[in-house]
Amino acid sequence: MKLALYFTFPYPSRVAFDKFINRTLLLNYEYVELGIPTEHPYYDGPIVRRTHGKAMEEFSMKLLEDTVHMIREKGKKVYALAYCNLFENDPDGFMSSMEDAGFDGLILPDLLTDYYSIRKDIASSVSSHGLELIPFFNSTTPDASINEILQLTNSWVYFGLQPSTGIRVPLDIPSMYSRIRNLCGEREIIVGFGINSAGTIKELRKIGFDGIAVGSAFVNSMENDDQVAFDLQIKMLESETHG
Amino acid sequence: MYKYNHFIPLSMYGVKNKDIIPEQWYNITPDLPEPLSPPRDHDPERSSIDLLNRILPLEVLKQEFTSRRYEKIPDEILRQYEQAGRPTPLIRARNLESFLNFTGKIFYKYEGATVTGSHKINAAIPQAYYAAQEGVTEVATETGAGQWGTATALAASLNGIKSKIFMVNVSFRQKPLRKRIIEIYGGNVVASPSTLTDYGRQILKKEPEHPGTLGIAISEAVQYTLDNNIRYLMGSVENSVITFQSIIGQEAQKQLEIEGEEPDVLIGCVGGGSNFSGFVFPFMKTDVEMIASAASEVPKFSKGKYRYDLIDTAGILPQLKMISLGADYVPPPIYSGGLRYHGAAPALSMLVNNGRIRTDEVTEEKSMEAMQIFARTQGIVPAPESAHAIATAIDYCRNHENQGKTVVLNVSGHGLLDLSIFGD
Ligand SMILES: Cc1ncc(COP(=O)(O)O)c(C=O)c1O
Repeated sequence: MKLALYFTFPYPSRVAFDKFINRTLLLNYEYVELGIPTEHPYYDGPIVRRTHGKAMEEFSMKLLEDTVHMIREKGKKVYALAYCNLFENDPDGFMSSMEDAGFDGLILPDLLTDYYSIRKDIASSVSSHGLELIPFFNSTTPDASINEILQLTNSWVYFGLQPSTGIRVPLDIPSMYSRIRNLCGEREIIVGFGINSAGTIKELRKIGFDGIAVGSAFVNSMENDDQVAFDLQIKMLESETHG
Repeated sequence: MYKYNHFIPLSMYGVKNKDIIPEQWYNITPDLPEPLSPPRDHDPERSSIDLLNRILPLEVLKQEFTSRRYEKIPDEILRQYEQAGRPTPLIRARNLESFLNFTGKIFYKYEGATVTGSHKINAAIPQAYYAAQEGVTEVATETGAGQWGTATALAASLNGIKSKIFMVNVSFRQKPLRKRIIEIYGGNVVASPSTLTDYGRQILKKEPEHPGTLGIAISEAVQYTLDNNIRYLMGSVENSVITFQSIIGQEAQKQLEIEGEEPDVLIGCVGGGSNFSGFVFPFMKTDVEMIASAASEVPKFSKGKYRYDLIDTAGILPQLKMISLGADYVPPPIYSGGLRYHGAAPALSMLVNNGRIRTDEVTEEKSMEAMQIFARTQGIVPAPESAHAIATAIDYCRNHENQGKTVVLNVSGHGLLDLSIFGD
């Protein structure tokens, strides 16, 4: 099973971010998602929400470029997780800067909701900059919209399990999975939002998801500069997915 | 299976209630033309979505976020539906047709035939059932017109649990009989704003005679739920409620099929949108015209904006993207308490916004006239809310006189406890 690690960039500070990301680079996982900080991370729960404000203060384009470069050198793919509200006024300018930063692609969690009417324009702007658009949707996305975004893209799929990150409402995951699998065919499905325990990962693996994305789970240890806790969490994720 | 010749009585073919009551609820979410915008937190410090775990019965919360198109209705709920008067009849309104000199056909689905007198029992039974199954001993809710409170009180009693009902102050004063019937069913009813919650006390301190709003009553019921670790039942607006109400439209589909009829237009009234959506959503795959009728005095369709807004005034629940007049909008005290809500269900709002569903707004005066016409032609005193749909239907028939249209109307409730609308 694949593993994607999410970090709001650069949280909790430039120096601390650099230190933590470096601790993961020799481990076995596939994807990194770097959250581009925004004032309105609408679909994030309180934990990730809290990281955005701090990261906005610390944000530097130069450091972003260096970070993306460094992670890619270790053979991992790097994606920007960005809310469309960041580039409402200038999508092309934003895509250029993401291209310059060296990202493999983009995950846009609000594309199919708040920006639905301009989804096709944004999708073509993403690809015209040589970036992959990762289709992101959740269980309430209608069949027709899922089919359309799958046709517009070629990459793996990001399925948001919970209605926002870091929270847990009761869900009928097997029935969600069979619907999404039917729609996605052979495409790789990475599931994220609200995943933080070995038990949940085992369950998702058994159900058939191809990978997981985890983010909220290690915010606390980064915030508290607790390297031991951080290492334990990442190693647990590595062994549950690749063990 | 339902290709009956409609000149022969159905009973001869052994059509039973259980053939008409559907075995599954229908959830429109996966079939919508666009994704529903997800609920949104508005307090940076905490997750109001997470908080739903402490507010709603778990099974209801699950159905709130489900992608399943059909949800099996548990046998016990089907039994309770039948005891509550389902299926409700679909009746051809021949007298109204004659009165209007209408050359088409008018049918009405009569939700007033349920034991509590409106469609509200359809959503109250499953929520009370799931709460009781999960070991909850008391539920809380709000009520505007009183119909939802009545349904909740009965559904709670049928499932062996208690109910606390926050009734919007104006309705509490306008409708003493409502309070009585809620108590007869075993519910405990208080006027909102009340002294039972912090939020209510704050409002009363500023304005002791505050008329109350549904938004305030919802806030109080949710606050009371959290304070007492019980569960809250939702009367409208939320996806799961719309799904529970899909029983109306699914029954109507079967009944029309038995009659050999295909509707040209479906009409219903909109408060939060539950009876209307429950009635029309199962027909969404056809090209039937749909008209949602609201109150001119609460002009959500003509003046409301499609945007994220609060469900409850206190902002305890997550925000929803819906057509709304603003959560702190205080509506004029029209008699149709059920139409005073500031917003409308997200899926309904989307379909109104994209033009699939047309809208109409009807004044109180016109709705009262429709009440009288319907009473004198069909013998049924409709609920003042339902009378808005009837007024819209009458207008439609007058504007489409000789086109042979088949009009199907949802009459969401009876108005026998609302007669004081015509004076004391
Ligand atoms: C009889 C009746 N009809 C309609 C409504 C409006 O609610 P909704 O739009 O959710 O059906 C109410 C609400 O109280 C009602 O009591």
